[in-house]
Amino acid sequence: MKSSIQFSPKDMINASLVFFVVHSAQIGVGIHGFQRVVYQDAEKDAWISVLIAGLATHIVALCMIKTLEIYGTNDLYGIHQEVYGKWIGNFFNVIYILYCGIAFFSVLRNYIEVIQTWIFPGLATWFLSATLIIIIIYAFSGGLRVIVGVSFFSIMLALWIIPMLLFPLKYAYTEALYPMLEEDISAILKGAKSMAFTIIGFEIIQIIYPFVKDKENVKKNVHFSLLFTTVIYLIVMLVSLTYYSEGKLEKTIWATLTLFSFISFPFMERFEFVAICFWMLIILPNLCLYLWAAYRGAQRVIKISGTKFVWIFSLVVFIATMFIQSRTQINMINTQFGNIAFYIIFVYPIILLFIVMLKKKFTSKKEQSDEKV
Amino acid sequence: MKFKLPFKKKQQQQPYKEMNAVKEKVELIAPSENDFTQLIKDTTNNPADLVIKSIPPNLTLIYINNLVNDQTLNEHIITNLQNNFFETPEAIWPILSIPEVNISSQLEETIASLLNGSVLIYVNGYSQVVLAPIPKRESRSLSTPENESQVIGAQVGFNESLSTNISLIRRYIISPNLCNEELKVGKRTHTSLSLLYMNGIASDQMVNTLRQRIQDVDVDSLLDSAVLLEMIDDNTLSPFPQMLLTERPDRFCDGLLNGKLGIIVEGSSLAIVCPIAFVEFFESREDQNLRWQVATFARLLRFTAIFLSVFLTPIYVGALTFHYEVIPQALLVPLSESRALVPFPPVFEALLLELIIELLREAGARLPTKIGQTIGIVGGIVIGTAAVQAGITSNILLIFVALSALASFTTPSYTMGNVIRLIRFPIILIAGFWGFYGIMLAFCFILIHLLRQSSLGAPYLSPYYPPRLKDMRDSIIKFPLPFVAKRASLTRPADQEKFDPEPVKPEKS
Repeated sequence: MKSSIQFSPKDMINASLVFFVVHSAQIGVGIHGFQRVVYQDAEKDAWISVLIAGLATHIVALCMIKTLEIYGTNDLYGIHQEVYGKWIGNFFNVIYILYCGIAFFSVLRNYIEVIQTWIFPGLATWFLSATLIIIIIYAFSGGLRVIVGVSFFSIMLALWIIPMLLFPLKYAYTEALYPMLEEDISAILKGAKSMAFTIIGFEIIQIIYPFVKDKENVKKNVHFSLLFTTVIYLIVMLVSLTYYSEGKLEKTIWATLTLFSFISFPFMERFEFVAICFWMLIILPNLCLYLWAAYRGAQRVIKISGTKFVWIFSLVVFIATMFIQSRTQINMINTQFGNIAFYIIFVYPIILLFIVMLKKKFTSKKEQSDEKV
Repeated sequence: MKFKLPFKKKQQQQPYKEMNAVKEKVELIAPSENDFTQLIKDTTNNPADLVIKSIPPNLTLIYINNLVNDQTLNEHIITNLQNNFFETPEAIWPILSIPEVNISSQLEETIASLLNGSVLIYVNGYSQVVLAPIPKRESRSLSTPENESQVIGAQVGFNESLSTNISLIRRYIISPNLCNEELKVGKRTHTSLSLLYMNGIASDQMVNTLRQRIQDVDVDSLLDSAVLLEMIDDNTLSPFPQMLLTERPDRFCDGLLNGKLGIIVEGSSLAIVCPIAFVEFFESREDQNLRWQVATFARLLRFTAIFLSVFLTPIYVGALTFHYEVIPQALLVPLSESRALVPFPPVFEALLLELIIELLREAGARLPTKIGQTIGIVGGIVIGTAAVQAGITSNILLIFVALSALASFTTPSYTMGNVIRLIRFPIILIAGFWGFYGIMLAFCFILIHLLRQSSLGAPYLSPYYPPRLKDMRDSIIKFPLPFVAKRASLTRPADQEKFDPEPVKPEKS
């Protein structure tokens, strides 16, 4: 295959690290307030929506890996060029690069908003976005190994936050979950669709796949990772559903952060102050991975050096963060981006797999007939 | 994509043109006595301690008075030469009762040998000279390692003599596989240094890389191994050292036996050990001598101390400047009471106190030991109490600053301890401006910075990233001996097995 890529073993990563990459790419700003969005559709069955969304990620990831396996050592950009030819393939690639760019922007803007709302109302948007972007450029310029390292530490160093969810359980009211399955199935499915913005991120395997050393273990790690994410979302959702009284969830934008604000220790209160600042470590791999994914694509479409790309990209995002200011605008972007992401991440890979398989069948038949001639 | 330093590259590209040019025109020794002595005088600029001594009928001895061992010269050279007559330089060879004698006809080699403590024995009329190296080795006696003291374990440290240090190591590791390569660095000082490693354990690739790096160093002088370390480590711009400096022979040997490479520089009591991971700077050799529970406790304590040392004062500053909400009410009352009289903002208060502590440390390090202790007491108690009573700082901050200073000294490696103390200052400053957000920014920056570093090409944050579960058994948490029978893969050892994991229990057999 002409567009497949060759790397030196130094750039390659172990399959076990894919677990961290996928998980850290999935968990980001969405977890701050996904409860409200899902609750609006599925009410107290929202946790079923989370489960369904989790299941959907498994199915889609299966399709993605299948597609990648057919092409061996190639990423999504290369597959696009193989399947559709250079021009149409590059058109799809540009869409995907734009998608990565918007995802990057969305994560960044949401985090900045959370910081401004909860901690520093006076801190300028440009300052927050500039500092974060500089850190990301520093990580990005270290190469894939550093980015994957950031993913790894972001998970290992943030594990202590999970037990914090035990604190609100003191006030949990489990009866709030019953009766189950009260909502009709379409509402639950709609709730699952609203999860898209929160649960995406695992599409990074389409880009990182060629960099994995032992490809036969990718599948196992990706699915473990998706399972882990789903379990975390499920726990957060269950805690929120039982903690908040009926209808309250609908009015809480950042339900997880509000949950945190009740946590107190003898030496510390208002845990959300620490959590929000600490969240920087959790969104860092998100941003790095999207930036890197966009760079891989840009490198395919136009030959561009990493330094040049990262500066152009950062400048565009930096300017964009200054223009989008109000809560309504950000909310609109989140909803719209969620919709787009749903089609790009959950629908398109399945279609792509069909096309790839059809093409494979067609070409292999053709090759067979060629051989006969 | 990597940002490379311009000067490092240049350094590597500079070939040895000048040295080669010198080698091409080899000067030969003049076959006449007067010419020869004049030549030696000219090349060495006729120093006051150059001794030219004629022994009739046809011999001339030339040596530098301060470099040769007088006793050996008298007993084993002059006595033997005086009562005999020699036709040729070759005839002198068997007469001298010293272990090493060379014959040379090249001026350059002769001069180098002279400056290293040889006696030149010249037979009139020949263009060859006998070199008898009898250098006077001056070194202080071995003493306890002052900067890396430990309770349980050997109490001997390196001194400044290369040969003494190597003999110390050879006594720890009695093996023909202990390789010792001698290299020279410095165009003017010609400092000799030894590259040591265990053949069969150390990775050949790493040995080659390190040898190449040392050979590429193009400086005119080298006075200490710490300078060499800065020239050959992976990233000179980073404040974090990427190679370990140690004055403990046992730590050095432990490194060699784990596949690391060591460098000892003549005239320096600190040896270089590499490659080394970040966490290894916080491990003491003593941990190996303790039982695993105690060692684990000590290591956990140390890591907590380092975390506190870096982040405690910034958290205080951040919380008091921006995030009062985080402090529980019960704690807020004593805090605000102690700060009630302080006229400065927390960041200024913290920087002031940290600076005082650093001053005390610096003064204590520069002064003689006895005065240093006094200064410590004067500074610590008098300034501390006075500062609080004068209302410049709060009591609680004083505790925090003292705690973090104390914690920073638990780092077994002094060079790393310095870095820990240094990076606290920018973090305090950034916490004073942007609170917890600033602290987190600094934390992420340091994390990424550490991720980007490497030690001799090996990942700096190993065994945590890339995760190597087997190597994690002897890092922050030390597992019992049967679990740590394998060498860490950081050094890419040729032989992984360290010992048989079955514990020795004679009563059971």
